[in-house]
Amino acid sequence: MTYKFICICYRSLDRIFDIVYWPVISLLLWGFTSTFVATTSSSTGLVEFFLGGAVLWSVFWRAQTDVGTFILEDFWSRNIYNLLASPVTPLELFSAIGLIGLLRCLLSFAFLSLLGWCLYAFNIFHIGGIAIAVFTSVLLLFGWVIGIVISALIFRYGLRIQVLAWSVGFIIQPFSCVFYLLDSMPGWVQTIAVMLPTTHVFEGLRHAIATGRLAIGPLCAALGLTTLLLVAALLFFQYALMQAKRLGLLTRFEMA
Amino acid sequence: MPLLEIHDLRKRYGTVEALKGLSLSVERGEFFGLLGPNGAGKSTTINILLGLILPDSGTIRIFERDFATEQVVIRRRMNVAAAFTSLSGVLTVRENLKVYGHLYGVKKLNAKIDELLERFEITALANRKLQDLSSGQHTRVTLCKGLINDPELLLLDECTLGLDPDIAEKTRRALKEFQRERQTTILFTSHNMHEVEELCGRIAFLHKGEILRVDTTERIKRLIPQQVVEIHVRPGTDLAALQQWDSLKGEISGGATLRFVLDHPEEQLNALLRHVMQAGIYITDVQISRPTLEDVFIKVAREEI
Repeated sequence: MTYKFICICYRSLDRIFDIVYWPVISLLLWGFTSTFVATTSSSTGLVEFFLGGAVLWSVFWRAQTDVGTFILEDFWSRNIYNLLASPVTPLELFSAIGLIGLLRCLLSFAFLSLLGWCLYAFNIFHIGGIAIAVFTSVLLLFGWVIGIVISALIFRYGLRIQVLAWSVGFIIQPFSCVFYLLDSMPGWVQTIAVMLPTTHVFEGLRHAIATGRLAIGPLCAALGLTTLLLVAALLFFQYALMQAKRLGLLTRFEMA
Repeated sequence: MPLLEIHDLRKRYGTVEALKGLSLSVERGEFFGLLGPNGAGKSTTINILLGLILPDSGTIRIFERDFATEQVVIRRRMNVAAAFTSLSGVLTVRENLKVYGHLYGVKKLNAKIDELLERFEITALANRKLQDLSSGQHTRVTLCKGLINDPELLLLDECTLGLDPDIAEKTRRALKEFQRERQTTILFTSHNMHEVEELCGRIAFLHKGEILRVDTTERIKRLIPQQVVEIHVRPGTDLAALQQWDSLKGEISGGATLRFVLDHPEEQLNALLRHVMQAGIYITDVQISRPTLEDVFIKVAREEI
């Protein structure tokens, strides 16, 4: 399966292009915004907060959309029938997508880190290798969780809900406190936000930038929670797949 | 032991009963046709055999294994080619076949791909993207994918759809050769009755989720016993003598063709010809139209037999 996704990536220009396109747009937008805000504010570390948020958010966004779009590509090309009739298991399918997604995330992260350093003298590696490894792990895993859940919903409800593959990230982002503090949010938002592993990553990022230390406790909890969610997402996918088979949905390619 | 055994398979979608206790067994090396009008249950059966639809009840044994519990192992030894499906459009033909070769654990994959491309006369397309191919070329690539793992059981669902008559004939020949060489068991569905007659040794006729009949192609055709005999005579021949003979259903058309429907042709044909000749009528040509599978299909679809 990994061979297939590698082929798709190098055969399809848009799949190469999208490794950097949206993340770069985001980096530029937040880079200029934070530079402007920094000139009008006495707060320190604003540029780092915003750019760190933009770079790390791209990891989650990349991981989440990759799972959805790689699955959707097989629906669009009507290859899903042949794929599901083959001996490949859902775990093998998602492992391959995860592997190629990891590669794409690393490329995207490396490119943004370089660009952030070149344009804004922002070095994300200042927070330390361990911090980056923990942050990106949580974001990658949670991205896959959301991607797998969306894939499950697509198998169950068809292509009419395919827009979720791109839009769910935008729903999660405001509650993840990517660019602002958890404490600054209204109470009801905070209630939702603390349940998201992404919130703990971005809170942890700001803590690391401000203090130079990693608040390991909440991050380990977030990592543990995300791992559990990943298992739950895979079980949910398996359930949705069985439901689709029971209802005979897999052979209706349009499923719209 | 049969290679494929289906017992009392049932599937219901809401109020529609797609399969009503279908039972079937197919022997190793058989080219077996699954026929029936739209909605008969052919595709549901094929899709259940592929694990894409879960049956409500019933058992399936393939390669003497229980399909419900050993699907992944069984799937490695079978394959499918269906006209209405596709492979990845952005990948080349060779890349697509490599993907499926890897999934089915095919050894010496490049040699296998070359052999299949040559068999279906599409070697020149190997490095072209699938999205750039015509529908006929596309269909042949799908067939190559279906044969990539030398399947012991191959499901072909309308697999020659969209092929021109020349390519369709070549494709049928290639399929027959492959089946003969490897002793592959093939379960075949098509609405092209000529194709089914040519390829299939046995046929199951499905209608409204039930098997009406399983038999050889020849015996299935005998479900319509009548044969139509057309006797061509010289224009202007006096046919008055024949008008009196009412033991056969007959009609005279165009003044030069006599058309008779024989319910028991083995007994009636000889008598008919003798009678016509004894009437002093000069016969220029005789044509006997035997019922085709298509005739049977139409009658089954219209519930006339």
